[in-house]
Amino acid sequence: MALRTRRRRLPISAPTGVGVFAMGRRAHRTHLAILLAVLAACGAGREEGRVRPASRIVSLSPAVTELLFAIGAGNRVVGRTTWCDYPPDVRQVPSVGDGLHPDLEAVAAARPDLVVLYRSPLNETAADQLARLGIATLVLSQDRLEDLGRAARILGRVTDRRHAGDSVAGAIAQALAAPAPALGIRLALIAWDNPPMVIGGGSYLDQLATLAGAQNVFHDLGSADVVSLETIAARDPDVIAVLSDRAAVGPPAFARRPPWQVIRAVRERRFITLTGSLFGRPSPRAPAAVAALRRLLEAAR
Amino acid sequence: MKWVALGLVAAGALALAVVLGPTHVPWSALASSDIIRSLRLPRAILAFLVGGALGLSGAALQALVRNPLADPLLLGLSGGAGLGAVLAIALHLAGVWALPLAAFAGALAAMALVYRLGLAGDAEPDPRVLILAGVAVGAFTGALTTAIVSVASAAELRNAFLWLWGGLSGASWEAVLVVVVYLPLPALALLAAARPLDLLALGEEPARYLGADVLSLKRRVYVAASLLTAVAVAVSGVIGFVGLIVPHAMRRVYGHQHRALLPAAFLGGGVLLVLADTVARVAIAPRELPVGIVTALIGVPLFALLVRRWTMT
Amino acid sequence: MDDDLILDVRNASCRYPGAAADALDDVSLALRAGDFHAVLGPNGSGKTTLVRAALGVLPLRRGGVELLGRSVARWSRRELARVVGVVAQREENLFPQRVRDTVLLGRYPHLSLWGGVRPDDRAAVERALERCDVAPLAERSIWTLSGGEYQRVRLARALAQEPRLLVLDEPTTSLDVRHEMELFELARSLADEHRMAVLLVTHHLNLAARFADRLLLLAAGRTVAHGAPAEVLTRETVEAVFGWPVAVERFQGWPQVIPLRTRKGTG
Repeated sequence: MALRTRRRRLPISAPTGVGVFAMGRRAHRTHLAILLAVLAACGAGREEGRVRPASRIVSLSPAVTELLFAIGAGNRVVGRTTWCDYPPDVRQVPSVGDGLHPDLEAVAAARPDLVVLYRSPLNETAADQLARLGIATLVLSQDRLEDLGRAARILGRVTDRRHAGDSVAGAIAQALAAPAPALGIRLALIAWDNPPMVIGGGSYLDQLATLAGAQNVFHDLGSADVVSLETIAARDPDVIAVLSDRAAVGPPAFARRPPWQVIRAVRERRFITLTGSLFGRPSPRAPAAVAALRRLLEAAR
Repeated sequence: MKWVALGLVAAGALALAVVLGPTHVPWSALASSDIIRSLRLPRAILAFLVGGALGLSGAALQALVRNPLADPLLLGLSGGAGLGAVLAIALHLAGVWALPLAAFAGALAAMALVYRLGLAGDAEPDPRVLILAGVAVGAFTGALTTAIVSVASAAELRNAFLWLWGGLSGASWEAVLVVVVYLPLPALALLAAARPLDLLALGEEPARYLGADVLSLKRRVYVAASLLTAVAVAVSGVIGFVGLIVPHAMRRVYGHQHRALLPAAFLGGGVLLVLADTVARVAIAPRELPVGIVTALIGVPLFALLVRRWTMT
Repeated sequence: MDDDLILDVRNASCRYPGAAADALDDVSLALRAGDFHAVLGPNGSGKTTLVRAALGVLPLRRGGVELLGRSVARWSRRELARVVGVVAQREENLFPQRVRDTVLLGRYPHLSLWGGVRPDDRAAVERALERCDVAPLAERSIWTLSGGEYQRVRLARALAQEPRLLVLDEPTTSLDVRHEMELFELARSLADEHRMAVLLVTHHLNLAARFADRLLLLAAGRTVAHGAPAEVLTRETVEAVFGWPVAVERFQGWPQVIPLRTRKGTG
């Protein structure tokens, strides 16, 4: 099967995970063709192939930025988002915007040969637009840890650092395979107070909680749902985890409000704070995050 | 007696709101349960008061702007409140009451601006211009709010939109107390204007000749109705359709004279919001629907029905 | 102090905001109890403006208006509404209402702020309905009435105010012959039997001549003629003011204006 080319560059758009259906038919065939080629390259174990390794990469996702540095391709990153803050070296890389609505001009100005985005409806459009500009794109799911493992492998392939990619993927798989022993702690993750919004199953934080040995009392709900205060009270968590962009001192503001006192964990002031950088997004530092979470939980018990 | 019936319906709605909920509270524990006393009871009462404020304000405003399609939120107050709330979040204002106070201040600012625009060159507000000014201010503040949210782009600001959609989840006995202390003055001001509002329905000139001080009436009604709407939005976000539909429904039963219509609109609005909030809490338990969506889902078909019967008579 | 003098307009001049010229220029009018005066004039001559100025709705630039001996500017609207009943030219009733309820609105100036409707008020409404011959319509919705019926209901409302001065601004525009005559007869009887002062603005020169005591003819805001019908409705005056050739005949002693056709034909 022939790879479709535009100009002289090879468009590498290899979607992974679920969601291939989001694309148009022509792009779909292209992507399918390339995916098969990449997988063939994987299976055959050949280093060279029809794919030229990417050398100027713009990463529009903090998780991807971390992964690229983790597999040793950090020196090839020529553009990052404002949210990318780990590892510290990344600050020397110029930012091309916040990544939520990709600024295509800034991206193109960095003259990348590969742009990596996380899967979202807005980014599908951006990916198509970049492809039309002749820039190769890679759209990766990044909602859960398994997605990160897959992403590590693919990034390893496209940067010609396959072993590093595989080993990072392996570390993630190892962390997934061995959750810590149960702490016997029931946890509620509260993202917002008015209206009360909790984090449920299907989300990265829920995964971390499970791996840390805690039980998310809202595991049966979707990744972020609004519930009544009385529901939280009825499910009686032992500890409440609060998300924050910045490190907080002391219990959150809503802990003082009279209606919240119905919840035992609020009355007993059993709070832990999870700050955005380590916990807010899927990251190859997940094993460290799990360990940190477990320590916080044990301290709050 | 129609009033007895309405009173019974109100009591029934409140009872339902206390007894029903996403979690099960056994009958024996009803009186002593913390959930009932600290959560469901203040929330039901607050819903009743807020719904009542919106219904009353809607009935008065429909008479003021001489337009049966007027809704208190049409006057740009909700846009101002939303802008105030979003600014409070963006500036990280501290304190439990920061958000409601900022929303209230925003609503009042919008009220003053709409009034100023509604003067249209004269010393007297022209009701038709008031509506247009309200829509314009609403659109303008809405655009500003969206701009702030997209520029600042913190997750907190996105969650602010959830607050705007309407929610009584923040209900507490403190909030009930604040509203109970605040409500009587604007409410009484509107009730005192009941007869002059009957006259205003004939037109401004005939109303004058029948003894209404039209300029003072327009100012009093506008300010009082805006104050009621402002506190409603500050305490529970933007809840639409209550102020629009309840006056129409009550007119069918209680007639057009405002001495009966205004109190009926208060009670009817209270009942509607209590029932809507109960549905919001219970329908997809354990998850909660924004109550503004429930009032829209109930309200739009009901309104279509009312309009059809109105145009057929 | 003349107890009988109800309305005293003296050299009134006023101008609408933003207008280039005065809408009313040096107009005077005096109405005693039992007087029936008619105000006539072409469109835009200031008839409605005179009504507004006399009732304190439009401020005066010069001159003064006194109602029952007190300057009209010092009357509150409520006090005024207890003494003066007005059937204005235009009215749009927003909501469908029963006839009885809309006539009851005429009692509002007499009701206290929180007080209820008293038996006296209901009796006044009944009397007003009877006098205007709309009692059979009392339970009907006003949206089901014909133009003429609605006009009579509005008159009933003004009568329910139990005023001493009744002001009617072109009240017969949608009435048929019978109801038009009945309205003029009613106004006349109110003046004669109830000693009400009646001020009636109309286009109907001939009926005004037959029923009113005095006529006030305005043109461009100024008084052209003021006096008994025979003095005011002369051929020269009418032709000059209305710009149309007329003949003035006598009918039962009153002058009647007959507009002439411009094309050659009989009459």
